[in-house]
Amino acid sequence: MKEEWRYIVTKGLNASKNMAIDRAVLVANSENKVPVTVRFYTWDPPAISIGYFQSLNEEIDLEKCKELGVEYVRRITGGGAVFHEKELTYSIVISENHPEIPKNILDSYGRICGAVIKGLKNIGISSNYAPINDIITNGKKISGNAQTRKLKTVLQHGTVLMDVDVEKMFSLLLVPNEKIKDKMISDVKKRVTSINQCLGEYISFDNVSSAMKKGFEEEFKVNLVSGNLTKYEILLADKFEKEYFKNEKWNKKR
Amino acid sequence: MKGKSVYKIPNGKLIKINLEYDDETNKIINICINGDFFAYPEEAIEIIEKELIHTNLIKEELEDKISFIIENKNFEFIGLNPEGLVKGIMMCIK
Repeated sequence: MKEEWRYIVTKGLNASKNMAIDRAVLVANSENKVPVTVRFYTWDPPAISIGYFQSLNEEIDLEKCKELGVEYVRRITGGGAVFHEKELTYSIVISENHPEIPKNILDSYGRICGAVIKGLKNIGISSNYAPINDIITNGKKISGNAQTRKLKTVLQHGTVLMDVDVEKMFSLLLVPNEKIKDKMISDVKKRVTSINQCLGEYISFDNVSSAMKKGFEEEFKVNLVSGNLTKYEILLADKFEKEYFKNEKWNKKR
Repeated sequence: MKGKSVYKIPNGKLIKINLEYDDETNKIINICINGDFFAYPEEAIEIIEKELIHTNLIKEELEDKISFIIENKNFEFIGLNPEGLVKGIMMCIK
């Protein structure tokens, strides 16, 4: 009998809600109130998330965000700034004592990325894990990932790029030297790809998510069973949204 | 005095350090370590920033202190290491 994990898809939620839900599921799982959970989600409106250790004012052009209707949020995970627009974002919440999760942090990144790699394979893209936290195909990045461990629980979330607009991304991010911005844009174009670019055709979010769902099931030999957030998680998420992700004090804390 | 550095750690991540220091006593007044690295737990960086206040801006002393905190408290860094951190700090000094 295969282990059953909870599977949740949320579409149309904004940055602060998405980050609050990831944290709420982590807390609920650490209290044994909910099973291992895999969630796939989108960002509406588009948003930039910055890593826990990044300085908001040093990374993001806040005026430009406002102008283009792009939100911003500080994650509880480390890593870099990410522009979330045309992508599938996944998150997995699992106890750090689960037998499928390596104790070594870098190994556990690789293991969870294994599910994304299998998911990409299901739509015909072969890729591999590139430590520290990327997945690459043909030498180009298609997924970035970030993990935190709190309350003896692992939360890893990451992006699977469906399409990428490097110019728009760079108009929102601050670069240390404006003179080399064009060079940076052309470098990133060479180093980053997306599902659409790889396949030369448009694949819907639903198709990507079903391929990814299968990828997680294959990697961890489990069944993902559709479920919903519990009332407890929804309340926690509301609380975290107010306390952290919607709060300027949190977003501007570094 | 205030100083700033941006340093890409070899095989690691980019760190951006803002340093305030006393150029007479050569001690740290305040430090902020930003970047796209990972630290477990995340609070490790805030703890190190606090512990570094009043520390002498001497490479060996900084390295010993940071390494001691990491070992003592069982912190784990990914994409960051004490040597890189100290290099970033020393680059802030004019």
